[in-house]
Amino acid sequence: MKLRCDRRSVLKGMLGGSAVYVGLPMLDVFLNTNGTAFANGAPLPVRFGTYFWGLGLTDTPAGGTRWVPTKVGPGYDLMPELEALAAVKEKVSVFSGFRAIGDGRANLVHWTGHASILSGVAPATATRFDAASFDTKVADAIGTSTRFKSIDIDASVSRQPVSYSTRTGATFASPDSTPLALYTRLFGPDFQDPNSDDWKPNPAIMLRQSVLSAVTEQRRELMKGLGRDDQLKMDQYFSSVRDMENQLAVQLQKPEKREACVLPQAPKDPARISSVDVVNSNTKVMAKLLAMGLACNQSRVFTFVHTSGASETYLPGQSKIYHQITHDEPTDARLGYQPETSKLANEVMKGLGTFLAELDAIKEGEGTLLDNAIVLAFSDTGYAKIHAIENIPMFLAGRAGGRHKAGQHIAGKGAPVTRVSLTAMQLAGAPVGEFGVGSMKTSNPIGEVIA
Amino acid sequence: MSTKTYSVGVLLTATVLAFASHAATPAQRPEQAAAMKVGLRRITETQYRHTIADVFGPGIKVEARFEPERREDGLLALGSAMLSLTSSGFEQYFALGRSISEEVLSESRREAAVTCRPSDPAGADDDCARHFVTHYGELLLRRPLTAAEIQSRLEISARGAKQAGDFYAGLELALTSLLIAPDFLFRVESAEPDPAHPEQYRLDAFSKATRLSFLLWDSTPDLQLLAAARSGALHSQQELDKQVDRMIASPKFQDGARAFFADMFQLDGFGNLVKDPAIYPKFDQSVAESAREQMLLRSMDLLVRQQGDYRDLFTSRQSYLNRSLAAVYQVPYASKSPWMAYEFPNDSERSGILTDIGFLSLHAHPGTSSPTRRGIKVLEIFMCQATPQPPANVDFSAVQDSTKGTVRGRLLDHMENEGCSGCHRRTDPLGLALEHFDGLGQLRTMENGTPIDVSAELKDVRIEGARGVAEYLRNEPKVPACLVRNVYSYGVGSKTYGRDKAYLTAQTQAFIASGYRFPTLVRQIASSAEFFKIVAPKSKSNAPIAAATVTQLQSTAE
Repeated sequence: MKLRCDRRSVLKGMLGGSAVYVGLPMLDVFLNTNGTAFANGAPLPVRFGTYFWGLGLTDTPAGGTRWVPTKVGPGYDLMPELEALAAVKEKVSVFSGFRAIGDGRANLVHWTGHASILSGVAPATATRFDAASFDTKVADAIGTSTRFKSIDIDASVSRQPVSYSTRTGATFASPDSTPLALYTRLFGPDFQDPNSDDWKPNPAIMLRQSVLSAVTEQRRELMKGLGRDDQLKMDQYFSSVRDMENQLAVQLQKPEKREACVLPQAPKDPARISSVDVVNSNTKVMAKLLAMGLACNQSRVFTFVHTSGASETYLPGQSKIYHQITHDEPTDARLGYQPETSKLANEVMKGLGTFLAELDAIKEGEGTLLDNAIVLAFSDTGYAKIHAIENIPMFLAGRAGGRHKAGQHIAGKGAPVTRVSLTAMQLAGAPVGEFGVGSMKTSNPIGEVIA
Repeated sequence: MSTKTYSVGVLLTATVLAFASHAATPAQRPEQAAAMKVGLRRITETQYRHTIADVFGPGIKVEARFEPERREDGLLALGSAMLSLTSSGFEQYFALGRSISEEVLSESRREAAVTCRPSDPAGADDDCARHFVTHYGELLLRRPLTAAEIQSRLEISARGAKQAGDFYAGLELALTSLLIAPDFLFRVESAEPDPAHPEQYRLDAFSKATRLSFLLWDSTPDLQLLAAARSGALHSQQELDKQVDRMIASPKFQDGARAFFADMFQLDGFGNLVKDPAIYPKFDQSVAESAREQMLLRSMDLLVRQQGDYRDLFTSRQSYLNRSLAAVYQVPYASKSPWMAYEFPNDSERSGILTDIGFLSLHAHPGTSSPTRRGIKVLEIFMCQATPQPPANVDFSAVQDSTKGTVRGRLLDHMENEGCSGCHRRTDPLGLALEHFDGLGQLRTMENGTPIDVSAELKDVRIEGARGVAEYLRNEPKVPACLVRNVYSYGVGSKTYGRDKAYLTAQTQAFIASGYRFPTLVRQIASSAEFFKIVAPKSKSNAPIAAATVTQLQSTAE
């Protein structure tokens, strides 16, 4: 289990994986950092996650930016819409001026932006990505020794559960979308307390394994004669079965002790209301559960949705939703921005502040869980009024076990968003040296933030 | 399992597959051809539930969170042909399969579920287990199991029985493995060479039976239908007609029709519908669920029970209410039963399914109505007219503060704007005519102190209010054609193409000639040869199926 990421496994990954993820330029960085960290059996692994919110932040063509710091580099100035991050500012890097590039493909509103960040390519249609989202690649690299390869969470109280994590581009993860559902998944009947002294393997789990093997035995027969698209679907099915096999295998091993792990109380689900105060309190409760799930080593990877692309959240009692306001509200000539929209952006950013604070509240070794994590937080648009996919706000939060030189502002000056994605993958310890397609193809992470 | 072994595993599998297809020389084609699979559709939540109830009895609990479904070209049935299963989805099905198996083989139920008796209840019994696996395997997988599939279940069963000292504990494991099998969770459609035309393929009899039973019953084929498939009789028109008549006469046809209309009318968003409690204090989850049920009751009563005219769906004042809905409709509830039939008065603005609060509230915002959403949905659901994505760089500078006056002013700006007008001129008038209903579907005549104008211009027709929309739909030829297209696509699991046009036109004419009767339409389609048509899946180059005579079609849909 140790030393999962040596040179040999990278080379094998190259042979088995797709060409987009071939990773030679990366080798040095990743052996110097991750390789040694795991080789000496360090008990605190790096966790990786994505955090998404809808409708960007305020940065108008009139120059009325509310979030882009004026200072570049360390010690950036905390702009009004970033105030919710004040408590964790030193652990957060801000990325401005990065853009999604369609190479002639239309800007599919509230879709192209985050699809580009996650999959590295502007998609052809607004229901799919043209490639897997990169969190699944990170999960494959660092998530196989825990019970769950990834935990997908949706706090948005939307009409349909929202997730932008996908292995095929067509089928998206089905997230836990209430606190109780998340609690049950992490700490329900199959949870094994890593700090328990009388751990015994559960014989029923071995029988469950035999149930799965009856299914995998028939794989070849089933694959025979399937068309290409159907083969992809079956590949995903069998990969899901494999994840379950892995889950059972993990449960048959005595878990390592985790000092920070304390079984939480089962939460109550809130009323289904999508106003921003409810979404934020949902975010807090779910972040707390997630943080404990990570501390208890149930997973090392997560995806979190605060609000969806064309977000339906709103200020309580207000008849218009945030999305509508971003489009309808005139720009205040004196201020140079839309005041109501900026107010909502502030509310939405409180969600991110709360989320990171919960990760930071768990003590681990000398630091906190957030110090041992790297979270890519991002949105679907830059300036939402015109569906801009330039200057999409992106943040890297957490110190990635010391690998992230956090607390900086990086100005992208029109560089592709994929550079930030690639940086996130490398900080998380995934053996990926190149990411993206066409003008968004890059093998150039943002060196300034990598230790 | 480490990353290393995973990567190697992928590599080996790929090699094996490549080798297998390479080895398929033309001389071996007959065997290869028989294995051609032409469709793979994930079963839906209701299909899962109906199957479990039909196979094991209605008392079995099915408690799980199902994977989200996705709508393609207006139908979840088409989305189901695109979707696979995620890790957390599989986790759910695995847990659900275990709990169903446990209940089916619980002490109180096992006598009914297992017709043979084990020689030793505390140990393995291959004969009895084989009987169990063969019987339930065929019902769940919708075809007889292969010898290997049976054998692997017998092995699990024996191992479980020995370890637990309980024959039924072994069966539980075998049943769970059937309930998580890809052939259960997905409908795998297979084609075989057609004996009448050896160069062509036809859907095999079990796949035909499955198309029928999922269209007509939203469930797995029963023993009679499976018998007709096994004997091959189902390939004859006479037997097909007989089975279709039998299935439409069954009470389970209600389940099939309900599932179809729930899909076509897009009634899947109610579980998660949210409204702002300060603006719509009467809204709660019970109102949302009742609103959905009301739309289904109206449809089922008119279209299935009375076998009425489909066009009456838009104009009939006959509806159903329960206590939660009565409050929203402001009608006194005078019945002791949970639902009562209710006829809206002659002069009411409520008439037809578009004025049900279900339609009105689902296609609105949390705190306001939305003429655009409602308009889009009228066109999409009832006329099969898709609306393109909005353009990205819209200039909203003309749009001014709309907290004053009615929403009409804001939308008129869209209709004037060059980039927006193409779509908004089509979508908004239908929605604006429904503006006497707020975001929850409650009647109103004023917005922000201004009287609401519900007149609208559509091409060269002028309509007035909800009744105008209803009359418009009643007379619109796209409306029956859209129903026909949806029944066909829903059953076949594929979009319609240019070459289906003649067939669909003929079906639409027959539907009109029948007086717009839904059961007649379903009977016509289910017993037509086109219903069992196959489309060869796209394959990688040089795969054996590339030689098949079935044409690969390009979509000509709008």
